[in-house]
Amino acid sequence: MTLRTVARAIEDAAESGRTGYRFVDEASNAEPFFTYGGVERATARFGGALQALGLRKGDRVALILPDNQDFVFAFLGAVRAGIVPVPIYPPAGLSKLSGYLENTLHIVAKSGARVLVTDGDIKRLLGEVQLRAQNLEQIVAVEVLRKERAAFRPEKIDLDDTCFLQFTSGSTSRPKGVILTHGNLAANVRAFMQLGLKVEDGVDSGVSWLPLYHDMGLIGFVLGPLFHKNTVTFIPPLSFLKRPAKWLEVLSRQRGTISFGPNFAYALCVKRVRDEEVAGLDLSAWRVAGCGAEPIRAANLRAFADKFAPIGFDRRAILACYGMAESSLAVSFDNAGVGVRSDDVDGALLAAEHRAVPLAGDGDKAVDVVCCGPAFEGHDIAVFAVDDAAGERRLPDREVGEIRLRGPSVTRGYWDEPELTRAAFAGGWLRTGDLGYFVDGSLYVCGRIKELIIVNGRNYYPQDLEWEAGKVEGVRKGNVIAFGTRKPLNDRERVVVAFETGVSDVDAREALKVAVRKVVRQGIGLTVDDVVPLDVGVLPKTSSGKLQRAATRELYETGQLWTRASARKTDRLAVAKEIAKSQLSYVRHAIFGGDKKR
Amino acid sequence: MEKSAGTSWGHEAVVKELMRVLEVHTEHKVELRESTELVGELGIDSLGVMEVVAELEDKFGLTIADDDLREVETVGDVARAVETRLRADGRWSE
Repeated sequence: MTLRTVARAIEDAAESGRTGYRFVDEASNAEPFFTYGGVERATARFGGALQALGLRKGDRVALILPDNQDFVFAFLGAVRAGIVPVPIYPPAGLSKLSGYLENTLHIVAKSGARVLVTDGDIKRLLGEVQLRAQNLEQIVAVEVLRKERAAFRPEKIDLDDTCFLQFTSGSTSRPKGVILTHGNLAANVRAFMQLGLKVEDGVDSGVSWLPLYHDMGLIGFVLGPLFHKNTVTFIPPLSFLKRPAKWLEVLSRQRGTISFGPNFAYALCVKRVRDEEVAGLDLSAWRVAGCGAEPIRAANLRAFADKFAPIGFDRRAILACYGMAESSLAVSFDNAGVGVRSDDVDGALLAAEHRAVPLAGDGDKAVDVVCCGPAFEGHDIAVFAVDDAAGERRLPDREVGEIRLRGPSVTRGYWDEPELTRAAFAGGWLRTGDLGYFVDGSLYVCGRIKELIIVNGRNYYPQDLEWEAGKVEGVRKGNVIAFGTRKPLNDRERVVVAFETGVSDVDAREALKVAVRKVVRQGIGLTVDDVVPLDVGVLPKTSSGKLQRAATRELYETGQLWTRASARKTDRLAVAKEIAKSQLSYVRHAIFGGDKKR
Repeated sequence: MEKSAGTSWGHEAVVKELMRVLEVHTEHKVELRESTELVGELGIDSLGVMEVVAELEDKFGLTIADDDLREVETVGDVARAVETRLRADGRWSE
């Protein structure tokens, strides 16, 4: 079948009277279901409402919509009108608001969005953005858009047109807007739905609690199923975080066959779901439990499979994958139906010679690397030496280097960032910044290049140190950051492990430091130079909760890591200020009649 | 005495129940006041807050709306979120 635009896929799906999107809404205890016919009508209404605001094909509209239903209809409505949506994550709370506003302002300004659509509550907090983004003409509450009844005027949309901008929450730099065309998305949907998942059109059924401002939720569960007319049930992300059992409950009730989550989601279920919460559930229909988007730990996935086998979970359903925002969503899936496969390699050889040599047995020095399968047909993944800038020689099997990609799912670059775009490609290949190796055509992913800790010519992956340190009782698992630094002494690379702890007693913290050093030395054979225990909430994280290693290293190098308090206290005042500014800006707008428009 | 989910509640009883849940989470290491911040002082992370809220929902037999959760910072805030729901359900006895 030839590739179709997203706009065309919405029209094509409209004939389906049985399948569509279902939105779980906890507050009202309702689960509104829209057939794809209903989706076509709702998106036409939103498209018409956006056009009535004066937006035309090619204009950008920023979306901050925590409600799944609003988000899906506004997003697809914009796309049908040729207006380019720019999804932005909603504020997680009133804490860390100033950092949130800074990021949002950057995205709004960089994308050149003329309009920002959000809900009434969040609108109150965006005064700073309204005042400082020159291009932003108005912030519109979605409640107002829902009531608009202007007729939708269809636009001609081509595969080469930009569909949306996917801003990445970079761990080192400010967010960059990945340009995704309809052609990129159609190619990627074909790859992961047909080749990866072997989806049966209209029959397979998805369940997702993933946030929709993130590629896995948006491309994986809004766009993919739309092209293939599969039903999807959306759970609000907060409902899942509150009660991970909700995910499994909905999967059981809807007989869901496909669902994905990052590594932490599976770990959270192992930790939090109680047996009585899932008694009577049946997960036997769940044929693909995908895992990606962050480093995968085979041990977590195996623990999940063990725990839920009694209610019908098939361990062969687990499927590891690899991809990134720059490649739309995924570029490789492991084979469906075989379960998680991993490679126990010799940690010493991996560190010293950058070779992944299998280790017999289950020795202390083994490093477990997960297999992410072969590249999708029509796509190419290869590993090159990091300094091979031109991409001249692919490394042979089991030699570790930088993973590079090319193919129809890969972006043509970042929005309004020509230099970053040039730097992202080498000889036609997208440089991922990830390290990995191949075995018999399958990709194994080790970690990020920038985060490697290099001591005496040996390479260590911070995740491995963090994993070990997380075993110490009192250290908050998942809130550990390891990095190497030459500063402030500039003599040699020093290894630092920083972690959050609820323990405040000075002696108890000293004991924790000793325990962390010991466990890292035993597990990895590396001596840690400095161990830094911190209060909860001090380590910097991205919007999606990923640890920011580079930012932590910077704080350490400048001495700010110790003086940094949890962001909560300072932000109360910021909240009050923002609300005041918002009101001020509306007053100004009313008096001067929108003088910001040039 | 244990109260069951369906009964009506007053402010003191709500706070007492909340303290009991939080004490378990913090392993009795911190003295709790209504002004105590969950993340900043109790060392509960955002996922932990969700866990506490889920337990309270079970205990009181109610659902706290996601919108209300965004505003929660202190022990007192949690108590107020619970009380708002109890009032709405007509299970408030003060």
